[in-house]
Amino acid sequence: MTISEPISEVDVEVTINGRTRRHRVPARLLLSDYIRDTVGLTGTHLGCEHGYCGACTVIVDGDAVRSCLMLAVQADGGEVRTVEDLAPAGSDSLSPMQQAFHDNHALQCGFCTAGFLMTLESVDPGEWNEPERVVELLSGNLCRCTGYQNIVAAVTEAWSAYHGGGGSRDG
Amino acid sequence: MKPAPFDYCRPSTVTEALEALSSAESSRVLAGGQSLVPAMNFRLTDVSLLVDINRIEGLASVDCDPGGVTVGAAATQTRVLEHEGAAGVVGGLRAALRHVGHLQIRNRGTVCGSLAHADPAAELPALAVASGAMLAVSGPDGERRVDAADFFIGPFWTALEDGELITEVRFPAPPPGSVTIVDEISRRAGDFAVAGLVAIVEADGGAVRSASLVGFGLGGVPTRLATAEAAIRGWAADHPADTIAEAVMADTADAFDDIHATSWYRREAVAALTARAARRALVAEEAA
Repeated sequence: MTISEPISEVDVEVTINGRTRRHRVPARLLLSDYIRDTVGLTGTHLGCEHGYCGACTVIVDGDAVRSCLMLAVQADGGEVRTVEDLAPAGSDSLSPMQQAFHDNHALQCGFCTAGFLMTLESVDPGEWNEPERVVELLSGNLCRCTGYQNIVAAVTEAWSAYHGGGGSRDG
Repeated sequence: MKPAPFDYCRPSTVTEALEALSSAESSRVLAGGQSLVPAMNFRLTDVSLLVDINRIEGLASVDCDPGGVTVGAAATQTRVLEHEGAAGVVGGLRAALRHVGHLQIRNRGTVCGSLAHADPAAELPALAVASGAMLAVSGPDGERRVDAADFFIGPFWTALEDGELITEVRFPAPPPGSVTIVDEISRRAGDFAVAGLVAIVEADGGAVRSASLVGFGLGGVPTRLATAEAAIRGWAADHPADTIAEAVMADTADAFDDIHATSWYRREAVAALTARAARRALVAEEAA
């Protein structure tokens, strides 16, 4: 939709985790702050807020992006997925990747975890089995606790679960 | 909220975008925003009007023909990286883009935006200069074409005038049989380079026939290594690398010092990358 006249507040319609939301927001509102403060989904964490750490990674129209480097208005008309969308709805179980992170001690403080999970979720699960590709894929996400080894191990295990468990990434 | 208040508009044509850009004093183009938004988050950039060009029809196109690749202003780096035809015609695009940021950055960041931003340590400006790319620029006074060699003026400073917009960039196909190598020294994958090199090398019969050599991370703009381009002609794998290194040192006398590396280190690094690029090109020629 065109916005011809310069405005400082914009109406946005964003589908987040399958539910469409409408808000009037300041043009300067970052997507990260929109997700956390306006919508109230606090699973997305903000680390550096200048595109360095990857903690705030979400999926917009299928692509992993840093939500601190996008304005909420740029997601207008789009589809956003956050970490809250990963586990199967209405059950206590985790997604195979979340379970693999849990089982492999792939998180300690957990601050960066949502960003790692969303980066992994954005690619074809076939890529989870190529260690070099996994390292390259995760190079844009910082973790200060684990030293990354357990994260890579978790990704490999999730690939096995994905292929052994009937082929659904939703568990 | 991190950025200071600004007005926003989202035009649907280039004409509307140009009108908007001219309507405010501190107007800026929003393409991928991967450099602009952090600068705004830090309040390093004063923006009164942000003109979002991402919904302009046709501006995200990537067009390939045997003569080159044309990349529209809103085409993301990922789109170019994954474009089936583009890498076949201009191999340097894939070679350069794999060094740019990370997946999440490339998913939003644009090729034209990287040129407009003109970071001295960035790969794409050096590729544009090395390959003789041509930028199409629209502004209040109409359209003009700017050779990449004339586009970069200083750090984060280009030939773009107020109210102008890059609409596309054309990377011409390199000479048939040449190899394009983009190599750099950086602390971690995805970081800006301490120093780097784009080399488009033609080899023949086990020797270098000609090369276009452009360094980055050395000075304010991509650095053409003209002495080295002359010295490398006729170089073969069993020749000493000293001649190349001396020529690169002569071309890079103005390389800068900072916390990451001394001038001397940067010059030595690019000298080593140049010899390595020549060797890789000769290996590729032998294999072909």
